[in-house]
Amino acid sequence: MKKITILSGKGGVGKSSILASLAITISKEKDIICADCDVDASNLALVLGAEKQEEWENLTTNKEAVFDLTKCNSCKKCFEECYFKAIGWKDDKPYLKDFSCEGCGTCQIVCPQNAISLKEINNAKIGYSNTRYNFKVVSGQLNVGSSGSGKVVFKVRKKAEELSNNCNLMLIDSAAGIGCPVIASVSGTDHAIIITEPTPSGISDMKRAFKVVNHFKISCSIIINKWDINEINSGKIEEFANSKNISIISKIPFDKKFAKALTKMIPIIILDKNYEKIFLDIKEKLFKEIYKNEKI
Amino acid sequence: MMVKIIGITGGKGGTGKSTVATAIAIQLSKKYKVLLVDADVDCPNDHLILNLKRNEYKIVQQRIPTWNKDKCINCGLCGTVCKTNAIVNIPNKSPMFISTQCNGCGACFFKCPVKAINWTNKDIGKIYFNNQDKIHLLSGELKENEPVSEFIINSLNEIITKIVQNYDYIIIDTAAGTHCPVIAALEMCDEVFAVTEPTPLGKHDLEVILNLLVKLKIKSNIILNRSDIGDKKFIEVLSKDMKIDIISEISYSKEIVNNYANGVPIENKQINEITIKIIK
Repeated sequence: MKKITILSGKGGVGKSSILASLAITISKEKDIICADCDVDASNLALVLGAEKQEEWENLTTNKEAVFDLTKCNSCKKCFEECYFKAIGWKDDKPYLKDFSCEGCGTCQIVCPQNAISLKEINNAKIGYSNTRYNFKVVSGQLNVGSSGSGKVVFKVRKKAEELSNNCNLMLIDSAAGIGCPVIASVSGTDHAIIITEPTPSGISDMKRAFKVVNHFKISCSIIINKWDINEINSGKIEEFANSKNISIISKIPFDKKFAKALTKMIPIIILDKNYEKIFLDIKEKLFKEIYKNEKI
Repeated sequence: MMVKIIGITGGKGGTGKSTVATAIAIQLSKKYKVLLVDADVDCPNDHLILNLKRNEYKIVQQRIPTWNKDKCINCGLCGTVCKTNAIVNIPNKSPMFISTQCNGCGACFFKCPVKAINWTNKDIGKIYFNNQDKIHLLSGELKENEPVSEFIINSLNEIITKIVQNYDYIIIDTAAGTHCPVIAALEMCDEVFAVTEPTPLGKHDLEVILNLLVKLKIKSNIILNRSDIGDKKFIEVLSKDMKIDIISEISYSKEIVNNYANGVPIENKQINEITIKIIK
């Protein structure tokens, strides 16, 4: 199964909108599965107008320090050695601050009294939805204020693998940014599509996204969304792509209908048949990229 | 006057956080001393919108372990306690270390029974500070392939704490999402404005960030951007349910889009109104 990640660096450039319509296009000839790896703000199922989640299971990917204050001799070692400053000190005893513990276990190792243990915590939910387009979307949602998004991303990808049966393609929607959850979305995949827009921010973030993809030595292609809002900047994106030998597989014009599609929870390709051709073209070019050395 | 720290966030990406943050900073800077903090360290863009040159101020480092191979007895304990898979045990050899996976927690260092691990540092990002122009800009930037964005935010927060008394208003522009780096950036704020858009996605992500703000006990408001594209009801219902006001609606305008594409910040009536509410 080929795995393709969609990323952008900058948020709101159209990752989920484009992925949804591309997925529908590809699903007409291949069995696919989608993984929404934006576990902070999972939106792909919404974009696809998917019915309710088939199953939600609680996930435990993180641990948290628990203090046995009866054993604690107030030596303060845990407080001093916590690199994340997650431990506070009150009434001569430690306490755990909100939203800070990484579950690394350093406090447990340094405690001479064996007064600290690590407790598993539910930090996310994971589930999948059946779309009306004959493929599933696996989603994860990090609990409010929980840490560990990278690990949840791995779980979403794993769940997608489990549910993939005979699928020959997995499409992965990543979060905005280039940090921990995005790295977890990109690593070990076969190809990345960087979505960008012709704005100074879009260009800057595209270059940063490219560096992440390049670090993992993953081949990539670029889609310029809203390319006509500034043709000079679009030209700069093309220059960058040429210099790095990356294909630009589509230039999609600005269209208010994308907002309408989101509001109605109907992918643009269903809302406006004119987009079928655009996405067929993207699919063709994408397949050329990912099946370069193989017969389709 | 007391300094007021304002956070700009939103959950969903691309709703206009930086556009609003820079616009408010410009308005406030006409009368007050303003520091704008770009805390979207994965993808910092405020300097691009304001067309400000950034001056390098500080390199942010994180500690990483290094092994003294003469002392190492190849016991593998360091690898077993590493929760981020940065240490790979190799039989009868010192472990292999993957620097970009390491968050510097120290578990390996303290676990090692023969003190074979020492500390060294890696660069994980940069802080830029521009205090020549009317708006002072403090901007953090994560080095590509480094995972821990919040270390850069922590460094920004330390600097803010040092220079806070020089300003009347500090505007903190956060990243998209709701995870660690966003929480770290919001911790300093007295009041937060969540910028959203009238779509089911905007609503979904706004709800997550507002719940977080409730947990953090920070006063929050909603700014509805592109209010005429989509359906306002999504946000209005949420606003009513959570009893958090929509304090401003910014309608879609081709001019804003074009200005953004050209790197020109916006100035309009709605931004003035938001600014007045901040001053009150």
